[in-house]
Amino acid sequence: MFKRLSFVTTLVILAALILVVPVMAQDEEPTADVSVLGSGDISISFWNGLTGSDGVTLNEMLANFVAENPEITVTTEIVAWNDLYAKLQAAFVAGNPPDVFMLHASEVPQFGSYGVLKDLGPWYTSGGGWFPDDDISESTLNGMMYEGTLVAIPLDNHGRGLWINVDMFEAAGLDPDMDPPTTYEGWVDLFQQLTLDADGNNAASPDFDPENVVQWGYAVGEWPRVNFLGALAQQGGSLVSEDGSTVTVNSEAGITALQQAVDLVYEYNVSPPEAGFDTWNAFGAGTLAVIPTGTWFRNQAETFSDINSRAWPAPQFGPEPGTWFGAHAWMVPASLEGEKLDAVETLIQWVSENQVAWAASGQVPARLSAQAALDADNYPSNILLGQGFSDYGVLDYGHVAIQEMYAALDPELSEALNGLKTVEEALNDAAERMQAVLDRN
Amino acid sequence: MSQSSTMTTPGRPKRRFPFEIDLKRREWIAAYLFLAPFLLFFSVFVVRAVIAAVEMSFYDWQILRPTRPFVGLDNYNELLNDDVWWISLKNTLVFTVMTVTGTTILGLVSAVAVTRPIKGQGFYRVLLYMPSLLSVGAVGLIWVWLLNTQFGVINYILSFIGIRPINWLGEPELVLPALSLTTIWWTFGFPMLIFIAGLQAIPQQLYEAARIDGANGLQIFFRITLPLLRPTILFVTVTGVISHFQVFGQPLIMTTGGPGRSSYTVIYYLYQIAWTAFRMGYGAAVAVALAVIMALMTLFQFIFINRRVEY
Repeated sequence: MFKRLSFVTTLVILAALILVVPVMAQDEEPTADVSVLGSGDISISFWNGLTGSDGVTLNEMLANFVAENPEITVTTEIVAWNDLYAKLQAAFVAGNPPDVFMLHASEVPQFGSYGVLKDLGPWYTSGGGWFPDDDISESTLNGMMYEGTLVAIPLDNHGRGLWINVDMFEAAGLDPDMDPPTTYEGWVDLFQQLTLDADGNNAASPDFDPENVVQWGYAVGEWPRVNFLGALAQQGGSLVSEDGSTVTVNSEAGITALQQAVDLVYEYNVSPPEAGFDTWNAFGAGTLAVIPTGTWFRNQAETFSDINSRAWPAPQFGPEPGTWFGAHAWMVPASLEGEKLDAVETLIQWVSENQVAWAASGQVPARLSAQAALDADNYPSNILLGQGFSDYGVLDYGHVAIQEMYAALDPELSEALNGLKTVEEALNDAAERMQAVLDRN
Repeated sequence: MSQSSTMTTPGRPKRRFPFEIDLKRREWIAAYLFLAPFLLFFSVFVVRAVIAAVEMSFYDWQILRPTRPFVGLDNYNELLNDDVWWISLKNTLVFTVMTVTGTTILGLVSAVAVTRPIKGQGFYRVLLYMPSLLSVGAVGLIWVWLLNTQFGVINYILSFIGIRPINWLGEPELVLPALSLTTIWWTFGFPMLIFIAGLQAIPQQLYEAARIDGANGLQIFFRITLPLLRPTILFVTVTGVISHFQVFGQPLIMTTGGPGRSSYTVIYYLYQIAWTAFRMGYGAAVAVALAVIMALMTLFQFIFINRRVEY
């Protein structure tokens, strides 16, 4: 008995050592999420959810801002988006919100409905202010409104596109400079040529072993919701009906859009299932040829120094092109007044007039003039993907309960993409749950 | 001392002070004075919060909405008909059974091993307890990497015996066992400590007598050690159930409840309701229901295990 126990104990100790040592060896420098920039007398607090390299870029811009405006101190606090929504609500209840914060256009209705956002109409040129209404796309401008009142100032457009592994394309005999396919079948053919098993057979080969794939052509698991919303638009569908009263994800368009994604996994074997596949690291490790991602991937792609990659437009699986995009936007508490409000306005105006610098984050500046001023050598992905947003982009849907609606949709998409439900079942369930949210709000 | 305070000098009338307090009452006051700081915090941060949660569960309560209509039992009615609640509850039960069983067995085996007079006993005890010192965030991230389908160490080791990569966190049948495995590794140190204390309380004469009578190691373990550890096992399982029934960080960090809703747990769902949908009223109803279920389970454990416990 005790000999057995000794053996078990030895195993447990070994396991503990293996697992604990890496933790102890971790980099001890945590990423700073609170930064105090400047030392001016007027101090303003700024909360946002830019946890990636975009947050670093914005802090660099704000450092330049306080250098030019030494009377202002900016304390930025970066919190993961989901935590930020909760934190903001608690802060408003406590009567202690930040002086300025950043959310997405899709959340404008939610926070607008709470009555906590300041009317920023006077800051737009149409209201006698400095931000030119006609220097942003119409859809972006609409996204800044709640019930006809402009309550936000846009910073950028960020959205969906592809990054391709150029070397894998060339190894498969594909020209990375070719025009991307414009049909689902064309994309399937492309992905099949890029998907390889351990014996080097591609997914179009009769000898292909789908159980032993070493290189995937595509990955449906990279933020499935926005992939679906883009594909839904390509099929002529939408999240809700035009009057906003009925959820329509389970329309014919929705079913086709999701079925196409599911078929990439189970019919054509060119993508792993949604769950348990690490898309970014697979791309970085050279086991994924095409990753559906977004403007924010620009700086991440540069960290994969062994991977020769570039941006491609969002894939067109449906009859029309279409891609999802969102907009980061500045918002100000309705209660803010006096010199802090003036300082916040100065800050937002400064960043808005320097939006070209924001392109270093990978995102596309919201202002059309800033987009036109981007250097093609430095910002090819911003320009390419930004063009797609302008030409056929669909701005993320805004609703007072958008987070709850997406919380109902996401697991259903996951069920379908992992083969746990049929597409019809998943979308019908999603529609039922989302409709309950709509009806309640 | 108490007696002298009530004695009187002969010939002198008993002197009564206007605020004289008898012994019993004085002890009572002293006890509550000692308890007062704790009671204050307990009342404000626990009792008040519990009452507020119960009250909130009868309202359509959204944090920033100006109106909070009273809805009576509607939230509880919705809960009974909410399939995601039932899925989450089932997942939580499965997870709890696996994890409490695992931590109890591993904790007991480890405790028996490190209670033996071996060289470096203290070192082994510390080593085995070390995972318990980690935060759930660190544990989650470590195990996401260990269980990673493409790059994980576990799949890499399994590949040497010809096993193809297993999608530990992506298969609905495997995801709860994988989360449970993570949690067992993380938390078995606490039961181990409790079992060590329990083992040390068992009189050595019993072991000596058993050995003289010719009992072997297994017989000693099952006839002496295990029966006398029943109160400890009761404590470990009760605290384990209470703790693991509230699993939250692991699904949040490692699977976000997926695939689909295969690793939704009650607290994860509660978090979604309250802090994603901001439906505090419904979230409070979920919390109250969970508290009732946990209280019933604890009661059941006491009744079931207590029957055969000798203190």
